[in-house]
Formats: sequence, C-alpha cells, structure tokens
Amino acid sequence: MFIDLQAVTKIYNQGQPNEVIALKTVSLAVAKGEMVCVQGPSGSGKTTLLSIIGCIFSPTSGRAAIGGKKISRLPDHFLTRYRRELIGFVFQNYNMIDHLTVLENITLPLLALGVSPSIRERKADHLLEKFGISHRKKFKVNQLSGGELQRAAIARALINDPPIIVADEPTAHLDGKLSLEVMDMLAALKEEGRTVVVASHDPIVSRHHGMAGIIEVRDGVILLNKPVG
Amino acid sequence: MGRVLNILDYALCSLRRKLLKNVSVFAIFTLVIFLFCSFQLVSRALTEAAEQLLTTAPDITIQQMSAGRQISIASSTKMELAGIFGIKKIKERIWGYYFDESNGANYTVIGMHAPFSDSPGDRLPGLSEGRLPAPGERGKVVVSDNIRNHLQLGSRKHFSLFRPDLTQAGFETIGLFDGKLEIVTADLILMTLADARDLFAIPDKFVTDLLVYVANPNEIETIARKISLKLPGSRVITRNQILKTYKVVFNWRSGLGTICLLTALAAFVILAWDKASGLSREEMKEVGILKILGWQTGDIIFLRFCESLTVSLLAFLTGYLLAWMHIVYFDGILFRPVFLGWSVVRPVFSLAPSFSIENLLLVFCLSVVPYLCATAVPAWRAATVRADSVI
Repeated sequence: MFIDLQAVTKIYNQGQPNEVIALKTVSLAVAKGEMVCVQGPSGSGKTTLLSIIGCIFSPTSGRAAIGGKKISRLPDHFLTRYRRELIGFVFQNYNMIDHLTVLENITLPLLALGVSPSIRERKADHLLEKFGISHRKKFKVNQLSGGELQRAAIARALINDPPIIVADEPTAHLDGKLSLEVMDMLAALKEEGRTVVVASHDPIVSRHHGMAGIIEVRDGVILLNKPVG
Repeated sequence: MGRVLNILDYALCSLRRKLLKNVSVFAIFTLVIFLFCSFQLVSRALTEAAEQLLTTAPDITIQQMSAGRQISIASSTKMELAGIFGIKKIKERIWGYYFDESNGANYTVIGMHAPFSDSPGDRLPGLSEGRLPAPGERGKVVVSDNIRNHLQLGSRKHFSLFRPDLTQAGFETIGLFDGKLEIVTADLILMTLADARDLFAIPDKFVTDLLVYVANPNEIETIARKISLKLPGSRVITRNQILKTYKVVFNWRSGLGTICLLTALAAFVILAWDKASGLSREEMKEVGILKILGWQTGDIIFLRFCESLTVSLLAFLTGYLLAWMHIVYFDGILFRPVFLGWSVVRPVFSLAPSFSIENLLLVFCLSVVPYLCATAVPAWRAATVRADSVI
C-alpha cells in the first residue's frame, strides 16, 4: 500500500492537563494511483489524519508508512525532507503568499531543493500552461480569481512532481462549476499515477467519478472506509 | 550551494518587498554607525595630529613652580644644568596668554630667541608667507590667518596689544603661519623674547620655560630625572608626558562620546529586537506556508539571518563611508567642538582620518554583532512556527 497506517494514535499535549486524543488506533490503506475522500465534521480528527499522511508530524503510536517511507517517530528534519519529496498540498484557502507573484508562489517548494531559477521557471511554465493560467504568471496572487488561485495552488502542489497529493477542502470557496473543474484536475492527476487524498464535505467531491473510496472520520475514529461504486 | 543561493535570493526579495520597514531600520542603523565611526575617526585623527606635531616639541620643558602655580624662571638656571651630560642645548621661551577683550578671544603668545630653525629638533611650524623675526628685531610678529581675521587687520599689518599697565605695545605682522598647522597655530602670536617680556611685563633675565634638547632620545627620561633633582621646586615635563596628556584628553572625550553613542546603539538594538520579535499574522502565515512546502527550520533561520545581515552590513558600510566623508570633506564638523573645546579662536585645520582595522572591527563588533544577536531570537521564534499552522 502506498499510504499505510496501522493502529495510529495521535495525542496532542500528551501528559498535560490540556491533552487531546485526536486519532485513536486508526488503520488505513490507500493504494498507489487511487483517489480517496476523507469526510468528517469539524474536530473529528480529519486534519490530523491529513497531517500524518502529509508527513507534517508523526503519530504518537502505531505504524505509518507513506510512499514506502516509515515516518513513525521520525524527527522533524526527516519528516520535512519526506514531505518535500513525496507530498503536494492543496489547501482550502489556497495558502498563497500575497506579496509574491503566481510564478514565485508556484516555485516556492523548489527553492529549498536548490533548483536553479531557470529550471524553476521552466517547470512552472509547463504547469501554468497545463492549467491555463500562464497569462497570470507575473500577477500578484491577490489579483487572481478563486478558480485561478486554486489552479495555481494545484500547480504549486505538482511543481516538485510528488507521488501523493493531499487536498484539504479544495472546493470550499468555489462554485459548482469550478468545483467540478478542480475535481477533474485532481482526477487527472490520479490518472497520471499519483495518489490523491481529498478532505471535503462537498458532495461534488465525494461523488466524483474518479473517487475510489470514502473514509468517514468521527471523534478520532474511522467509522466508514468504503469503496465508491 | 543552490539552496543557499535560493534562500539568499528570497531574503533579498523579501527585503525589497518590506521596503519601508527595512529602509527605516537601515536609516537609523546607518545614523548610529555614522555617529559612532565619526567619533572614532575624529578622535584618532586628532591623536595622530597631536603626535605628529609633538615631534617638533622640545624634549624637556622646565617650569618654575611656587605654591603649586607656575611662575617665571630665571634664565641663569641654565647654568645650573650645564653639568648634566647629554644635554645638547637649552633655550629660553616665554609662553603666555593674552585676552583680547574687544574680540572676547584668547591668544597664545610665544616669545623665543630667533633664529628658530637652527636644528631639526627645534623646527617651528612652517610659514605660508613672510619670515620670522630676526635677532634683535623689535615689534615684529608672525600670526595665523585666524588671528589676522580676529584682529580685523584686513590689508593692514600693524596692530597693538595692551601691557598689564594698559599702555599699548605696537606690532607689525611680518609672516603668516601655514594653514596646515592650524591645530597649533590658530591662536598663536610668535614674537621675539624681548617683545614677549615687554608685553607681559616679565622682569629681565626671566622667562616662563626653559626648553632642553637632548642628544640621545633614549636618555630623555634619565636627564629629566637629573634636572628634577638639581632644581627642586621646578616642574620638568618630557615630550612623552605631553603626548600622554593629549591622548588622555582625547580618549576621555572619545570615551564619553562612545558611551553616549553606545547607549543610542543599545536603544536601537532593543528597538530592533522589539520590532522583530513581534511576528505579524502575515509573517506567521508565510513561515507556515514555507515550512509545509518543505523548508526546514534551519532554512527559515538562515533566511532571517540573511535579511538581518544584509541590513546591518549595508548600514555598517554606509555609516562608515559617510563618517569617512564627514571627516575628509567636512572636517568632522559635528564633533570638532567636543574634542577641541569651544574657544573663540578655533583652529580650522583639516583632519586626515587614518584607516585602522582594529577600530573597524570594534565598531563592527559593537554594532553588527549585537544587531544580529538581537534578531536571532525572533528569527528562531519565526522558524519554530508549526507547519500545520496553515492547515
């Protein structure tokens, strides 16, 4: 399995009065090239699950392997390295740096990899062309529409060619037509062989034809892990 | 290497984006460095100027003391010193001050036996025009341009000064001191010994100082000690002691100024720390995004370090350059009064700053290093923003 979580528990502020158990012995398996949807209300542990899959932090207990790399009890330094190599993020609020241009935002992950400016621009040009926003390349991100921003965000997620895409509510601020467009883009990434994990409440997401399964999280536990079909 | 260059490039772009904030920090920092370096350079230039001028001073100066105050010394005292081996020559001098009530200025009057330039150790400041008073010549003086202006001589050559009994002594200017030596000649009126004795009403065969020239410079201290033993109640001053006094005076003033400026620098560093430590929401978001996109904590610290280093290094170099220009082109106009005092007849000489790696390092260590330290804590705080803070 490309994403393999075995009895994963995540406890914040362990041993302190404000201790929170966000995930309780969760097990999950997602195959390479699959797209799954994670659903659940606010505070259910959905974000924690995405954070573990996205190598942002390692679980308190249990075993987690992402893209074939064991991340359980790994120090932050290694997690960052795996995140850089394996994961592309797409966020609900786009998480673009406002004072940078589209091009600068998209190439941010490549700076820490030491990629030269010319190669960075070439890669970005390719993705901007692919998502139809090359005419916005030199624009500041606050001059872009919601749909353009999300396309730019997907382009940024792909700039380091990661095998896993983690998308957190990618359609939250988009209308139906744009939401479908974004989901089509993510499904196309799945077709390229990438594993896509999308967290969303949006039925357009969960009912999308490319979706392979739905994972329902509630109170830190996976209630439902069913294939779509 | 590519990663370092990328982060450096990002840091420079980041500085450009927050232009107003960074220009303000740069301007204040540059000002502090400028003031600090100017103080250092003026102090050093003055000390060096004093050192240079004192090479022309006599090896030993003897003055007679009474009740702790200087009084005239008999010219015949020279004879008592004749037996001390190593003394090359002893000359008489009258050194006094004349207060010009009409101008509110104090002039230094020196009376000496001419000729003045008969040996290398007895050189007098050069003249830009005219000549020195010849032996036996009366009423002839050499002055500086400064004195000519204060006396409002214009194209005239004659002026008069009052004796203690309020009778007038007339003088004619026959020479002008070279402007390069204004530091000592700005308020100086040079005349013959007889004229000075007449002006100050000093009895015949009495002077204010005896100037001793020694054949071997290594023997100066020994001979000074022997003179002290021979002439109890006299004050024996060597050239080194005068130089030490100058250094103490300039160092004391420099130290005082440095303390004031260090206080300003400390205040600036505290301000910088205060400004940099408060992370705005925008900055926290930026760091969070960078971290989730794969930037390490070390990368963020390095980014902040590059920003601080660029601002402080640029401010340091600009401040030092401005200080240098302040000394070379404006003769350290801001700090001259602090070092030279507020006399009416103020020297208008040019200062020549000298480059000293120790001084440069001192200023660097007292400015750039504290600034970097002050911004290190906020940089670390920024770098430890959690990557999941943006999810």
